[in-house]
Amino acid sequence: MTTPRCGVLVFAAVACAGPLAAQGDVTARLVGRVPPAVVAAVRVLADSAAARGLPADPLVDKAIEGGAKGVAPERVVAAVRMVFGELDAAATAIRAGRVAIPDGETIEAGAFALAAGMAGPQVTELVRLSTDPYPPAATLRVAGTLTALGVPAPQTVELVRETIQSGRSGADLLALPAKLQSRVARGASPAQAAAGLARPDDARGPTPGQGKPDKGYPPRNPHRP
Amino acid sequence: MRAYDPLVKQLLDGELTLAELPPELQAEGSEALRLLAAVDRRAVMLPETLDARVMDALRTRARTVSLTRRSLGWITEPWELRLRVRPWALGAALAAAAALVLVLRGPGGTISKQGPAATASALPESLLVRFVLYAPGAKQVGLAGTFNQWNQSATPLVRAGSDGVWTVTLTLPAGQHQYGFVVDGRRWVTDPAAPAVDDGFGRRNSVIAVGGTVRAGRVL
Repeated sequence: MTTPRCGVLVFAAVACAGPLAAQGDVTARLVGRVPPAVVAAVRVLADSAAARGLPADPLVDKAIEGGAKGVAPERVVAAVRMVFGELDAAATAIRAGRVAIPDGETIEAGAFALAAGMAGPQVTELVRLSTDPYPPAATLRVAGTLTALGVPAPQTVELVRETIQSGRSGADLLALPAKLQSRVARGASPAQAAAGLARPDDARGPTPGQGKPDKGYPPRNPHRP
Repeated sequence: MRAYDPLVKQLLDGELTLAELPPELQAEGSEALRLLAAVDRRAVMLPETLDARVMDALRTRARTVSLTRRSLGWITEPWELRLRVRPWALGAALAAAAALVLVLRGPGGTISKQGPAATASALPESLLVRFVLYAPGAKQVGLAGTFNQWNQSATPLVRAGSDGVWTVTLTLPAGQHQYGFVVDGRRWVTDPAAPAVDDGFGRRNSVIAVGGTVRAGRVL
């Protein structure tokens, strides 16, 4: 029977078109930048990522980074596997936060938060906190950045919770890392700075024309984050 | 080329105070702090006359282009269309648009999703970002990151004066980027003014988030 066979072939072609195109894209980005063995390994991982609904770009980016840094091939593959694991763990944690099908941007942001030192349940908690108008990706990026700046992960979650539940704007949320860096540059520890930001008046900063008195921190050292 | 004493480097990193340095290193430490304090960290401000100068240069160039090239340009370059919508025409335009949609859909047909929304999302918000590194002994410094495929030579920094300060300003698309400085083509250095995460290879990558608005559920 010709028609069913044609139908099967067409279905197979359509079903394979996406993954094959993705494989071609992965290969095109990696050839000449990493050894062929790494290209092959990353292709397999990228296929697995696509099958699990994970973004493949971070895997390719990590392989390119390893190649550029002159890292041994087996170590590049190990790092790519680690990124895969972080993406998978992030997706699991995000789904537990009641986002059934997280998009690639949110998964990448969750993986960043995990890489910065947060735990899966904390990622889940942050996603639960991210009600409109706070997109989960934004919340996770901010939290990851705060943790990367040295704020203990539980304190990061509490600071984000305070910010969201006190009804501050999305811009206030996104401004937290810069405000924290400013306080750290003036001599506060990351934990102290985060504690100060958790107080609503401090986090909002002075309103125009109503500057706050200087707290007597030593001068900023621009060489230190 | 100047190499600072490790204790002075600790001073620059904020791990020691000037008073904690041995007396023989205090002068060197003071000088290093002075150089750091002299770094210009102000935002890049473009001169107000820049627009006028650019437009003058464009007009001059346009006058010198050959007739053939101008003719080709007339054919190939995009035109600027200016439409003025009058209130009485709005209803007719909406009716025409609705008719066009019906014609394109046809019975059971579909319309491409590459409409204005897709065009807008293909134009990501981007910002000028200035990177600064204090590397007094360096002969060359490059910036490599996710935004340039980790290419060490794609974004070289230039010396800002003779005090060992290197800088580059570039346009980055909105989003989160990881990067590092490459000193003399071999030494990877994190940005001391930015947060950093493990790179998976035993080093750390600096992280920068470009953009800062939450709009319609997207992070820009």
